[in-house]
Amino acid sequence: MRFTSLELGIILLKMNASLRTHLAIIGTMSDLHRQPISYDLDCLQKIIADVSPDLLCAEITMEDWEREDFSRAAVEVREALAPVIASTDIVLIPVAPTLERYADFTPDSGWRRSFVLTFDRLLRWGQIQADDARTVNGPWFGAFCHTICWLTESLWSAEERAAWERQNRALAENIVRAVQRDRERRVLVAVQCQRLHRLIPLLRAHNDLFRIVDYQDL
Amino acid sequence: MMHREITVSVGGGRELDRAGLAALITRLPGLRVVPVDQIPPPQVLVWERLTGADELPSVTSDTVILLLTEDEGFESLTKTIAGIISRDESPAALGIAVRQVAGGEQYLSPALAVAILQKRQAKSSVKEIQKSVIESLTDREREILDLVGQGMSNKAIASRLYLSVRTVEGHLASIYLRLSVHSRTEAMLIAVKIR
Repeated sequence: MRFTSLELGIILLKMNASLRTHLAIIGTMSDLHRQPISYDLDCLQKIIADVSPDLLCAEITMEDWEREDFSRAAVEVREALAPVIASTDIVLIPVAPTLERYADFTPDSGWRRSFVLTFDRLLRWGQIQADDARTVNGPWFGAFCHTICWLTESLWSAEERAAWERQNRALAENIVRAVQRDRERRVLVAVQCQRLHRLIPLLRAHNDLFRIVDYQDL
Repeated sequence: MMHREITVSVGGGRELDRAGLAALITRLPGLRVVPVDQIPPPQVLVWERLTGADELPSVTSDTVILLLTEDEGFESLTKTIAGIISRDESPAALGIAVRQVAGGEQYLSPALAVAILQKRQAKSSVKEIQKSVIESLTDREREILDLVGQGMSNKAIASRLYLSVRTVEGHLASIYLRLSVHSRTEAMLIAVKIR
């Protein structure tokens, strides 16, 4: 069988694309609520087990992960991701640079706090409406969620916004380092969904290293 | 000046061999064959070793053992063994060996000495070859081999190094190829040896 140079080029491009690291990002939502909630983690566990990535980048600091101390980690890491990791060949890469999470930036008092809490209620309503992983990680909920998060962040102080941005950059760098260390793998990133509108652009800047795909296509 | 005869007993091996050996020793000047359980005990017990697993007899401190063997396959020797003589040696050499060990010295057949040295040299060169192969491994491969030597599973290694299990498996395949081994156990043995 003979190929034209164009066909050969397309084949090589496809081969090259299949060899590249594939990276998918899913948002987790336990942090949407201040109070402990009954949160169905089976769904998240099922997604992780079904996708069965080579590497799972999760929000826990390296220090806590290596000490197996999940007390300060988010409920989804503690109760969903860690058990899946323990029972499969998936390797968890701790990528959280610090312990601070989105909710930690909520103003302590004043009208800003009232607005933030209102937006939080709106997110809760959105979550109830979405109610499944596919919808939550779909474009409509994404746009809704990102708008609410953007509005919430605008109510923070300039320092808090800078700290949040720094944290997201450090987290993105940790993910990039994990990909550089272990190329041509299937990587799933599970982070709190409020980060997505910040994190995705930061990761897209590295499309020479990996191809971002939907988690269903990983 | 009268030389006292050296009392020698023969043990181990097969009955026919023992009889032949005793007859030979009797013919050698200055040596006298006595029963192994006689009082006072023989000065030298010539013990014919058939296999490495042969158990040596317990002897009193007045008796030393001269081991008659045909190979160099012994890793450790008990204190009571004063000499080792090859079956390939001449009868005269047996006489010399008996007299030497009876006089408080040690004896080792030259043929066995050469064989032991060659074996040790071969062992050390195997180790050197493995070391040079290990030096040719990448840093990551060496790191993984070391963790294999610690008995860690692929998943544990992957988790420790923050690599995927598939990547660790890939490194292991490359390690096996370079070390010319076919199993994890073989690689583990090498890793432990090289440490």
